[in-house]
Amino acid sequence: MMPDSNPVAAPGASPTLAIDGLGVAVRRGPRLLRDVTLNVNPGEVRALVGESGAGKSMIGKAVLGVLPRSIEVTSGRIELLGHDLGQLAPARRRQVVAAAASLIPQDPMTALNPSRRIGGQITDRLVLRLGWSADAARRRALELLERVHIRDPLRVMASYPHELSGGMRQRVLIAAAFAPRPQLIVADEPTTALDVTVQKQILRLIRELQAEAKTAVLFVTHDMGVVAKISQTVTVLFAGKVMESAPTEQLFSDPRHPYTRALIAATPRYTHPHEPLRPVPPELIAQLWREVESTNGEGGEHG
Amino acid sequence: MAEPAPIASSLAPAAPRARARRLNPRLWLSAGWILLLVLAALSAPWLAPHDPLAQDLLLERLPPIGFDGYEAGYWLGTDSLGRDVLSRLIYGARIALVVAVAAAFAACLFGSVLGLLAGFYGGWTDRGVSRGVDVWMAFPPVLFAVLLVAVMGPGLISVIVAIAIIDWTRFARVIRAETLVQSRMDYVQSARVGGASRRRILASEILPNVLPTIVALLALEMGVAIIVEAILSFVNLSISSDDPTWGGMIAEGRASLHFAWWVLVFPLLVLFLSVLSFTQLGEGLKDQFDPLSR
Repeated sequence: MMPDSNPVAAPGASPTLAIDGLGVAVRRGPRLLRDVTLNVNPGEVRALVGESGAGKSMIGKAVLGVLPRSIEVTSGRIELLGHDLGQLAPARRRQVVAAAASLIPQDPMTALNPSRRIGGQITDRLVLRLGWSADAARRRALELLERVHIRDPLRVMASYPHELSGGMRQRVLIAAAFAPRPQLIVADEPTTALDVTVQKQILRLIRELQAEAKTAVLFVTHDMGVVAKISQTVTVLFAGKVMESAPTEQLFSDPRHPYTRALIAATPRYTHPHEPLRPVPPELIAQLWREVESTNGEGGEHG
Repeated sequence: MAEPAPIASSLAPAAPRARARRLNPRLWLSAGWILLLVLAALSAPWLAPHDPLAQDLLLERLPPIGFDGYEAGYWLGTDSLGRDVLSRLIYGARIALVVAVAAAFAACLFGSVLGLLAGFYGGWTDRGVSRGVDVWMAFPPVLFAVLLVAVMGPGLISVIVAIAIIDWTRFARVIRAETLVQSRMDYVQSARVGGASRRRILASEILPNVLPTIVALLALEMGVAIIVEAILSFVNLSISSDDPTWGGMIAEGRASLHFAWWVLVFPLLVLFLSVLSFTQLGEGLKDQFDPLSR
């Protein structure tokens, strides 16, 4: 792993999220994450990039404590605002996460409960977990809906999800994520399900709100184009292992790891529309697998 | 939460709701027949032209209205003991409906709760419930019901309990699967991140989305309960053989089919329409309440 010089970290400031040597595996099954170490500082957007199956989403799920039942954390520490989450009792952990972190999920079509009105889905957490008054929560929800450019927030609060378009739902989800003033947001491919024009607006919104509130964001994506638009720092993941962590500009101008270079080369460019696609070479993938497995001292477990 | 007044808006895609208000024909046709049954059952003493138990051997096997030998007042004819078929059908609706409602609710309550718990909590709860369902479904249901009633002794309560005991698996199986799907939805994950307790997630995120299925199954189950009750009375294991039941009437009519078809055909028709109505009602309700197709 290459050293990570962080442009956002103020000297002496403690990171919002510190992951150290995290290992995650299917119970009695293959490993999904191997020795992942990364930090996210207040106000920093860290992109977590890799091919599908690289374990990017697992990192977010492990942080938020929503790993599927069959998957467990096998090693390492996750510190959220200085709390070592692994050491906390489940109820206390839920409380810490609920107070400090939010999720922007991937698919706006399944991320809102179809049988509940929008308003309640935003204010529930404020009222039930964070002790806001119903009135304050409502005002906060309206404020944020306006902030994400929803034109008629009162009406939207009273609507059901099926009455909104995909882009509107994703904006509602962003409003819901920022409403409790979290210090950390995990964005799990929030633009993947949207079309390109909407994607841009959504990225800009996340960026604006995040910069305003100095929120740390862990932005999971497979799209190098999105990485370039939104993040200050990048962590490249392959087979659950960190290949390279670097400031975004440096990563694009001077990629150190061959896999990073291959990923960047594989991204189609608007400026060269007739260029053939260059997928990551299979020989490189095979070689990386060998390396990943040999460093772990056990092979043949990637089902 | 206070409801804000709906405000007209240019971005209002309000059309889907208007569509939901329109009832489809199969829903109102089936609901109409069931309503008719309920009214008949409630007002049986006033509605029935004759005492359903009164035998009159001088009036045996009278044909229904419009046929040769029709006797005024006996609209649907009489059976081999001279009892009025229409009156017996009307009184039979009472038993059919009581059994349908009570047995279906009992099966629904038991099965849905187990299904919700199994689907939501997984692990040992799920394995326990799922194996239970598997074992239960290995018994042929009708034989099982006959056996249960034989053990408990005939009677209304036995019939209801037997149907609930054999049919809770229907609910457990389907509701478990639906709950499993719901539990994996992103909004459940978001609620977990937001610190919602398991009980709250189950009650406010999952149950509302499973409820349309529960309601639909409940209506279907009422139809099934009517059939099972008819089968039990057909083999003379339901209520005491004096009480008019549709199944019992079918059993009696079978013997005289060749010279008094009406004794068999009318209860069969009523049974058929009722079961059909309940199943159609179930399907129709599912469409109507499904939040995704609203």
